Amino acid sequence: MDNENVLEFKHVTKQFPGVVALNDVSFDVRHGEIHGICGENGAGKSTLMKVLSGVYPHGTYEGAVIYDGQELKLGQSSIREAVEKGIAIVYQELTLVPTRTVGENVYLGKEPVEHGGIIWDKVYADTQAILTKYQLDVDPRAVVNNLGVGKMQMVEIAKALSENAKILILDEPTSALSKEEVEKLVKILRGLKEHGITCIYISHRLEEFFLITDRVTVMRDGKIITTQPTKDVTQNDLVKYMVGREMKERFPKGKRKPGEVVFEVEGLEAADPNDPKRKVLNGVSFNVHKGEILGIAGLMGSGRTELVTTLFGEYGKVTHGKIRINGREITPKSAREAIEAGFSLVPEDRKKMGLVLIQTILRNISLPNLDQFSKFFSINSNAELQASLQQAKSLTIKTPSLDVLAETLSGGNQQKVVISKWLLSKPEVLIMDDPTRGIDVGAKFEIYKLMNDLAEKGVAIIMISSDLEEVLGMSDRVMVMCRGHSTITMPVAEADKERVMSLATGVAVA
Amino acid sequence: MNISPTADTKTESLSTRFFQSIKSNIQSFILLFAVLAIWLVFTFTTNGLYLDPENISNLFRQMCVTSFLAIGMVLVIVTGSIDLSVGKLSGFVSVVAAFLQYYVWFKLLPGQVLLPAILSIVGGLLVGLLAGVVQGYIIAYLGLPAFIVTLGGMWFFNGLLLLVTQGKTIPANQPVFSDIAQGYIPSIWGWVIFAIIVAGLLWNMFSGRRGKQKYGFTPRPLYLDLLTVGIVAVLVLAYVYSVNNYKGIPAPVLLLAIAAVLMAYAANNTRFGRYTYAIGGNREAARLSGVDIKGIVFRVFVLMGFLCGVAGIVLASYVGYGTIAAGTGYELDAIAAAILGGTSPLGGVGTIHGALIGALVLASLTTGLQMMNVQPAWQYVVKAVILITAVYADFYFKQHR
Repeated sequence: MDNENVLEFKHVTKQFPGVVALNDVSFDVRHGEIHGICGENGAGKSTLMKVLSGVYPHGTYEGAVIYDGQELKLGQSSIREAVEKGIAIVYQELTLVPTRTVGENVYLGKEPVEHGGIIWDKVYADTQAILTKYQLDVDPRAVVNNLGVGKMQMVEIAKALSENAKILILDEPTSALSKEEVEKLVKILRGLKEHGITCIYISHRLEEFFLITDRVTVMRDGKIITTQPTKDVTQNDLVKYMVGREMKERFPKGKRKPGEVVFEVEGLEAADPNDPKRKVLNGVSFNVHKGEILGIAGLMGSGRTELVTTLFGEYGKVTHGKIRINGREITPKSAREAIEAGFSLVPEDRKKMGLVLIQTILRNISLPNLDQFSKFFSINSNAELQASLQQAKSLTIKTPSLDVLAETLSGGNQQKVVISKWLLSKPEVLIMDDPTRGIDVGAKFEIYKLMNDLAEKGVAIIMISSDLEEVLGMSDRVMVMCRGHSTITMPVAEADKERVMSLATGVAVA
Repeated sequence: MNISPTADTKTESLSTRFFQSIKSNIQSFILLFAVLAIWLVFTFTTNGLYLDPENISNLFRQMCVTSFLAIGMVLVIVTGSIDLSVGKLSGFVSVVAAFLQYYVWFKLLPGQVLLPAILSIVGGLLVGLLAGVVQGYIIAYLGLPAFIVTLGGMWFFNGLLLLVTQGKTIPANQPVFSDIAQGYIPSIWGWVIFAIIVAGLLWNMFSGRRGKQKYGFTPRPLYLDLLTVGIVAVLVLAYVYSVNNYKGIPAPVLLLAIAAVLMAYAANNTRFGRYTYAIGGNREAARLSGVDIKGIVFRVFVLMGFLCGVAGIVLASYVGYGTIAAGTGYELDAIAAAILGGTSPLGGVGTIHGALIGALVLASLTTGLQMMNVQPAWQYVVKAVILITAVYADFYFKQHR
């Protein structure tokens, strides 16, 4: 038994149909250290943590995980097992029951019981004990709803630690926190170290690694690139490790000539519709030309999705700034108004927002376009079928007929259905939010070709992507977003991965 | 890349096609078999009395009120809502119609026959429509849960109903008005209607084929289309023949048929219908596709209110009175008929014809059990078992297809 390492990954490989999420991953975590893991979206960080926390039980991956000197073999009820063994995880999204108290949340599912009733005094006393021990400043009887995001995070940590955790995994804990809250978190994590708790810290914000971690591991494309003591590396080193690889022939090149400006955003500011005090957009300006692809880069939580849903009239409350299409000023208040103004949105999450999965391909494609096929009350189903079929064929959706339910298609084909439905509405500005997320390489290439075709036909395309190479490979110009504002828009020739990543992580300022 | 317009391609044999069409309508077929099985069982237990023309006539007449509510309820449930007020609302409409003809028009327009009936009907329909507008507004635009709003509606209309009746029964048996639910189409006109239906089916078939050709699609083989028309024609023929042996087609059945055809058309061939299903299937995707969610939900409830108006008029005419208990529990019958007919309680899925078959199953059970003199207590138990079994069977087939 190696006393120094509390955790070792040995040649762990995890495959999904069509994707290798983890490729021969080996690294170790030392007892009591704070170990940072960084990498682009999709680099495999989350998959790695899901192996450790039992979301993927033993046997669904190759290789071995050695924990506390023994191979970790998590079975059927693996998540529970992992928790009992002392592996606790705090997810990026909060998992608390908002309407209950802190104590109830910490002890949810493991309440102390006597004669069939919960001993509430013990729940609150024990919660208080945990909170005091780890210097978490929260009232155990407070209702979670009334706490700020930072305190909620503390409750999450308390919940994770309440089962005598030996390893605490924090998956991007800071993306929703303010600067002061981050500083508090750093203090708490330092405190955990003194209690002998090992911490794995996953984040996008590179500067945090230097505040918090002892060592840092960089992942890219499912592989471990390097593990180094944090004091031996610089932020720029990390950026280089993260983006590394040379650009291959992944992107078909279009021969397009952008025309005049069709779409302009000037100093846009918007607030969260549920919390008018919280700004989600804080000064965004850019324009798009006819027949151009504008790539928007930015990490998750940078405001890029908030930007497009606000432009589409479905999210943020615009407090400041102007939106102009063809020189005409508009403020879309609903998707309908945005569509009428000439926008289309291929949303981020095709299953939740793009498709009616229980309906046929035909009904999905025609849904936003029924006005085209209707006369008085009645829909001309032949015209509907003809136009949809033509669109489906030109995008080579692989299906025997359009009567097939959308839920049965592969991710790539589903995305083509979403794109078909929007092309049929003949948009002037096509917004694509992460258009190739979760689809295989072949289908990606087809979607890239399609984007080139559309741009050549004069459609202005705004593409948001988590994949930096995709942004650089497909765009004419690149805009980088960071913490709700646009940093700079530059021609793609002036953009390189290091520069974009530095702007997106806030290392560099434009 | 070849994508054929529909699942039918030339290469498929007739039997594959037959099974495919059965598969895609599995719920409707299961239910139709259930109806046949129920009829068969009751035919034996009643020594053939069950299929007597008089009973067939009454059976379909009996399912009318629930059916008007059920075809509206389908769309309500498809949007992911529920309407608990429909029973009491239609009950309230029935007493309003009775009150108007007995206390108001009878005195204001002495000696008239047609006008009081029409004015009573219009009054009843307006009440239904207005109730739909108010409830729809609260649900769609003020954003309150339909379950709560219509539960309130149920109490509210029950209160109004008691206020109007003052605890007494009001006659609703004026001439003309009573013909709505108690009248029969003379048998010669029954055959004319049959001829019109067949002609309509053929016209619909040929114009459909022409349309397809115009857009460059190959229509289905002619014999298949003719076979479909033939089957429907034979069913209608059998029905008309049977009821003509009694008194003819009951007027409310004809009214229901017209309403159902209109509703089915609205559900499948209008933007309103398509948006309704899209909202129930995925509200977020529908919103991002530019669907006016609030407007559509509002219209669904207005339509439901109007159909409550129709059901209330038919109910008053059928019973011949406006009573204090009018419409009690009908909302649950309507929901059961819709769910039996394949409407998904989760929204997004459901058909008008399914709801009609569902209502027929319920009516068939009720009449049969009554004819066998089964105690009401056991009638409920049997209906409960059938409802749960049918929904489970549907669930099972969908999981294991």
